[in-house]
Amino acid sequence: MNDDLKIVLFLCNWSPHAAYQTLQDSLAPLPVEIRMIRIPCSGRITKSLLFKAFETGADGVVLLGCEAGACRYGIGTRVAQRNIDDTRGILNLLGLGEQRLGFESFNPDQHQELLAYLTAFRNRIGELGKTPVVAAGRAEVSLSARSADEISRAHNVYVCQDCGKCSSACPLALTGKQFSPRAIANAAAAGDLDSPAIREDIWSCLTCGLCYDRCPSAVSFPDFIKDMRCATPANAKMNAHEGFFHSLMRAMTSPGLPVRHWEGLPSDIQTDPESKILFFGGCAPYFDTFFKNHLGISTSETLFDALRLMNFFDIRPSILQNERCCGHDLLWSGDRENFIRLARLNVEMISDMGVEELVTACPECYRAFSRDYPENGIKTGFKVSHIFELAEAEIGKGAVGFKKLNRKITFQDPCRLSRTEEGVQLPRNLLKRLKVADFTEMRDHGASSLCCGNCAWTGCDSYSKAMQVNRLKQARQTGANLLVTACPKCRIHLTCAMEDPFLENEIRMEMMDLTSLLAKTIEWE
Amino acid sequence: MRKEILITGLGGQGIVLAGQVLGLAACLADHLEASFTQSYGPEARGGACSAQLIISDAKIHYPYVRNADILVCMSQSGYEKYRNMLKHEGTLIVDQDMVRSVESVSGDVFPVPATRMAEELGRKMMANIVMLGFVTSVTEAVSLEGMLSSVADSVPKGTEKTNLAAFNKGYDLGRAMLKARTKKAAAKHESKEQG
Repeated sequence: MNDDLKIVLFLCNWSPHAAYQTLQDSLAPLPVEIRMIRIPCSGRITKSLLFKAFETGADGVVLLGCEAGACRYGIGTRVAQRNIDDTRGILNLLGLGEQRLGFESFNPDQHQELLAYLTAFRNRIGELGKTPVVAAGRAEVSLSARSADEISRAHNVYVCQDCGKCSSACPLALTGKQFSPRAIANAAAAGDLDSPAIREDIWSCLTCGLCYDRCPSAVSFPDFIKDMRCATPANAKMNAHEGFFHSLMRAMTSPGLPVRHWEGLPSDIQTDPESKILFFGGCAPYFDTFFKNHLGISTSETLFDALRLMNFFDIRPSILQNERCCGHDLLWSGDRENFIRLARLNVEMISDMGVEELVTACPECYRAFSRDYPENGIKTGFKVSHIFELAEAEIGKGAVGFKKLNRKITFQDPCRLSRTEEGVQLPRNLLKRLKVADFTEMRDHGASSLCCGNCAWTGCDSYSKAMQVNRLKQARQTGANLLVTACPKCRIHLTCAMEDPFLENEIRMEMMDLTSLLAKTIEWE
Repeated sequence: MRKEILITGLGGQGIVLAGQVLGLAACLADHLEASFTQSYGPEARGGACSAQLIISDAKIHYPYVRNADILVCMSQSGYEKYRNMLKHEGTLIVDQDMVRSVESVSGDVFPVPATRMAEELGRKMMANIVMLGFVTSVTEAVSLEGMLSSVADSVPKGTEKTNLAAFNKGYDLGRAMLKARTKKAAAKHESKEQG
């Protein structure tokens, strides 16, 4: 019995709907599992809408549109095809399989063909069975005076001296946005929970931590924002990419999902399932799939180069095929419950492998495993290292050098590393070892470095863009021709800013992750 | 197994102590025979001094080094004075900042920045311990465990931790250098086959 199958049908209002209506009028036996949603154009169903259906428990999704030449709006079918391709890529990575997502076009007179297609699709989903995704959703919360008071107290908001150093350092405020950490702290301290400072602005914060660095009273503002977001109803309009990545992360909390994270691993890389050292990749394969048509970015290269770097030192780490997102962005966008689900799942799988050390090349994974997991009561039981720590220790043993690289470089610090002294020093020790033509710091660097404009896929707007443009101008001012990064998000966000058709010539710059730079130029002496 | 080891350097560099540490490790930990002779005198005021060590699994009948399997030089003058003692295909290990000119020899040569590494660790006088770490990893004359306990027993009380860190630094460098040499040889071999 497949009566409980759920198939969502997005049906374009034009050609296919006419065919569908003919079927309805003639009382044709349409599969009962199909729930039809009439839409204006197949091109309007974004990747996030397609995926949202899967996140909330759909067993199959069909998108039906018009023939490419017959689209009423010209490009709808083409856009739909792109969205379908990308979403199918994501479904494959998750192990859900692209067969669960159907896409076809029908002319108004093709009602017989449409019926045959829908019946065949229902049968296909029947064979595949129920989805392994368990709809997780975000818990309903509402901010009470008591919870706000507790959060403020936990992060020293009441000791705020109202000096405003935070707001004068905040990169978002300096870009011109009507945003003030000081005003948010004041509103919280005054218990003014309905003010826009609380309702709206907590979702704009980058949580980059520059204000905390400058605060004379040590108000832990990023952590305050994080906890406030967790205690406040979700603000969907602040989700970047229409919440696609939040959906993706929530879908990954389902334990039964047969994720195929390392499917694209190049054959030259050596791994060993018995190794006590695990390399944790992070979400790069999903980013590359999602942004394939938009930015053509390849952040997976960083993961492969990290593995190559480990292989160079004769370390063959284990990898976790069923690896999930670390959950960093869920926690920092206010969904603690699902963050904890992901964290438990990851730690359980990793502990089962007998891993003693986890190495990652992503600063957010590093922060999540080393700080956010323990702070949320999840004991890891294994050592967490950044690939830079491992590289520094291995290179420090000696007999290793670097090939000459005739590039002038500068460095974009990732916020999740650069707010600690070691996090500032670690990449710089490595950068100084490289044999490049020149290494010049940007005006704002190290502990004062600027965020790439976004965090946790939340609150992207024109001010984020302005920040990114400013940052890239700083990078160009150093005279460098290669911008070295250390976080996949920095690369995605800065690449996005470079798409600006008016400023392109002023800000375009080649980027490369420090991990890749190390792996590509390292050699035995 | 029989190894003749000659360590040379300047008075004050801890040459004699280095020889003693090696010998102790060979005797007490590895249960081998060892003989140790040191030359001092005017050298103690600067100039070349040496420690001569023979490690063997059989009785040692004559205590002086005649054909060194391993020659460790921590100063230019020490190198000049003793370089002819190195046997054919013997291993030459020099402090690369103290011994500036090395003539080509038939065996392996290892330049080691022992003094510089000791300085980076905070105490220049630990260069001899760095060097011992290096000798342990590249020559296999004594065991690592034996050397660790021997170093800890021989250095002044309270400095064990820093000295062991210095030893490990030298040991790691030795391992890395051996690895680098094998990797490079393999790469050379590969490119030759392809070419």
